[in-house]
Amino acid sequence: MTLVETTLRQAPAAPASSNHLCVRGLQAWYGESHILHGMDFDVGQGEIITLLGRNGAGKSTTLKAIMGAIPRRSGSVVYQGADLIREAPYRIGRKGLAYCPEDRGIFASLNVTENLLLPPVVQAGGMSLEEIYGLFPNLFERRGSGGAKLSGGEQQMLAIGRILRTGARTLLLDEPTEGLAPVIVQQIAAAIHLLKNKGFTILLVEQNLGFACGVADRHYIVEYGRVVDAFTSDAIASNKPKIQAYLGV
Amino acid sequence: MVSLSTLFSQMVLGLVNGSLYALLSLGMAIIFGLLNVINFAHGAQYMMGAFAAYLLLNYAGLGYWPALVLAPLIVGVSGIVIERLLLRHLYQLDHLYGMVLTFGLTLILEGVFRFQFGSAGLPYAIPDALTGAVNLGFMYMPTYRAWVVAATIVICAATWFTIEKTHLGAYLRAATENPMLVQNFGINVPRMVMLTYGCGVALAALAGVMAAPVYQVSPHMGSNIIVVVFAVVVIGGMGSILGAIISGFALGVIEGMAKYFYPQGSVMAIFVIMIIVLLLKPAGLFGRIAAAHPSNFASQSSSIGALLTNRYLGAALLLLALVAPSFIYPLFLMKVFCLALFACAFALLAGHVGMLSFGHAAFFGSSAYICAYAAKTLGWPPELSILAGTAIAALIGLVFGWLSIRRQGIYFAMVTLALAQMIYFIALQADFTGGEDGIQAVPRGVLFGLFDLNDTYIMYYLVFAIFLIGFFIVQRTIRSPFGQILKGISQNEARMISLGYKTKHYKLLTFVLSAALAGLAGSTKALVIGLASLTDVHWAMSGEVLLMALIGGIGTMLGPVIGALIVVTVATYLAWLGAWVTVIQGITFVVCVMVFRIGVVGGLESLVARLVPRRSQAGTLGAPAPGSAIRLEGEQP
Repeated sequence: MTLVETTLRQAPAAPASSNHLCVRGLQAWYGESHILHGMDFDVGQGEIITLLGRNGAGKSTTLKAIMGAIPRRSGSVVYQGADLIREAPYRIGRKGLAYCPEDRGIFASLNVTENLLLPPVVQAGGMSLEEIYGLFPNLFERRGSGGAKLSGGEQQMLAIGRILRTGARTLLLDEPTEGLAPVIVQQIAAAIHLLKNKGFTILLVEQNLGFACGVADRHYIVEYGRVVDAFTSDAIASNKPKIQAYLGV
Repeated sequence: MVSLSTLFSQMVLGLVNGSLYALLSLGMAIIFGLLNVINFAHGAQYMMGAFAAYLLLNYAGLGYWPALVLAPLIVGVSGIVIERLLLRHLYQLDHLYGMVLTFGLTLILEGVFRFQFGSAGLPYAIPDALTGAVNLGFMYMPTYRAWVVAATIVICAATWFTIEKTHLGAYLRAATENPMLVQNFGINVPRMVMLTYGCGVALAALAGVMAAPVYQVSPHMGSNIIVVVFAVVVIGGMGSILGAIISGFALGVIEGMAKYFYPQGSVMAIFVIMIIVLLLKPAGLFGRIAAAHPSNFASQSSSIGALLTNRYLGAALLLLALVAPSFIYPLFLMKVFCLALFACAFALLAGHVGMLSFGHAAFFGSSAYICAYAAKTLGWPPELSILAGTAIAALIGLVFGWLSIRRQGIYFAMVTLALAQMIYFIALQADFTGGEDGIQAVPRGVLFGLFDLNDTYIMYYLVFAIFLIGFFIVQRTIRSPFGQILKGISQNEARMISLGYKTKHYKLLTFVLSAALAGLAGSTKALVIGLASLTDVHWAMSGEVLLMALIGGIGTMLGPVIGALIVVTVATYLAWLGAWVTVIQGITFVVCVMVFRIGVVGGLESLVARLVPRRSQAGTLGAPAPGSAIRLEGEQP
């Protein structure tokens, strides 16, 4: 534990507005299995942060636990000064946190437009339907198609586009590049850069180190349900072997 | 020409029935879509709608038109209360629990209304504006019936439009697919689920109000229609809203036509169609076959210890049973043993394979009829009569099993219920069964020409021997390699198929075995009581055996026996309570499902396992605890 704390202290400090999203001692269970053993990390306003780690380390579970999608959880998740750990999932969603799940969660019984219009607007200042279609022109062409008939890339664009309309300013994206063609990955990366320039705060779960370095400010390494190390994007290059050791199988 | 107008008027009546079927199966489909609960209480809530209209008229002076709005509102609110207090806590469990819970609610509601208003139907007049008939040229169309059909079409169309074409409907469809994600978007899904249940229930109540002037208002009107609605739902498939509406109307018309061409068989028409659909398109006409998800009904209800493995306890119970008739009324004990065997047969299927049959009364009752017929009318000796009854039950089990194992979980439960209802209708209408009277004064006869069964003690030991044989067969089955395969099927059928097991063969074989043992119990019971009656084949009997298994502990060995003892004791010594016995049974169902899913014996066993940690568990160490098996199924995200 002391080792972790030391590394964390050595890690680059979050920006001044680090009280945007503070996760402390977050634990979560699936039934009897204890998955998160005390996650500690901060996401500053306007930052893009990635959680890196091997399969099963607890990255996706962390996002779900923040969103309240896991019933059994403890610790604290302070978002803009308010602790979310006891809140019902639908209240968390209304506070301006938006979640894009790993499986994209496109509703098969809804068409593209219905999927886009589904999440209610929780704050003013969300993107309009036209802006979203502008960001992802493919979606406009498929706007009448059923949700089940989209390609993987289109589904991912829809999953991201869908939460931009709600006015949520903090996005939790779970592996947005998983299983996508490189050209689509570039498109997603471009979109994330655009969102950063617009001032969105993004917590990203990634396996793709290259992609993560390209878009994010800072990175947390997750192992066995804990944050074990942290790096800035600039420090990635100099710590390559160490990170390879963390992520290698 | 006269007969043609009869045909038309039967078809109009069929359309009216079809309207009710459509409204009921629509409400059921909406509820199932979001809650994953088969709302057994739907029939009772339909009945409540009719009663609400009746009470509003007679006590508040509010006529048909206000009742059309108020009755669904009142019943809908009662549904919301049920959802908040009870159903909400079951969503994480196997869907079967929701069905069992709402079955218990049905018993409570029907019992209360029967106590309050008696079994006879109460009249409800057609509103003045809708009396009379319209001459269509080829026939007279009663105005009220035309109104029911037209209003239903409008309501169904509006419901369909709301769900398929509006923003609210999009929430509903999305929440049906992935409720947690919809919550993450900031939508209060629990409230939506609650209101959806309320709306589905309100639709049932609306059907009840519309039915009130056509049929009489009676406490039984719901249970008569609910089994038919289940068949409609199996035919249409739960997948689509439109499917529920169309199949409701179509089956009503078909039933009406059957009434014209073959009146005796008209009640069977829908069930026959259900069988044909099961054979040709098991998912239903509009349904999609859902991926078979592993049932955890069996594993959730089984317990850690195995109380009966303790041989001292077994010997003590055996000794107790041998001397019991000298100090307990033997007829009572014989009833207990018959029903205990019935419950063991049922639990073999439900508790160990996860196939919850809602139609076991068919085997129990038909076997009782055959045995009684053989012993009384044909004059066969008791051993042959019992064998004949058992053989018939096994044969019916073979046919029903072959049909019903095409579906799983709640669908299996609905199919078995509908199939069993056919046996009920046959028993009601056939010549040899004696109709409402049943076959009475069945002679017990002389066993093997040696033992006169009119001697109570000889009869008792015969019953006890039969019970022991049946119990032994069940135990051997569960503990054999065959039983291990059944356990595998109950926990994950897809995996067993991938391992190369023809799971359908195993399920069918177990089904037949269970049916035969249920038949053995039914035949024996017919000789003990000297009576085979409609009670034995009625769905309430299927519910009663489920109750026994549930109270005792459905996944335990001794549970069904203890359950039978409790249920028979309550039924015998509290018989003076009349309709309240049903209410008590209903409450017991609710309590068992809500807080006591492992049953009395299951509870005792886990208590023993906790108190005597090391020594008693040493014997069962080789077998994995049920908890670990459940964990295996859960896919780690």
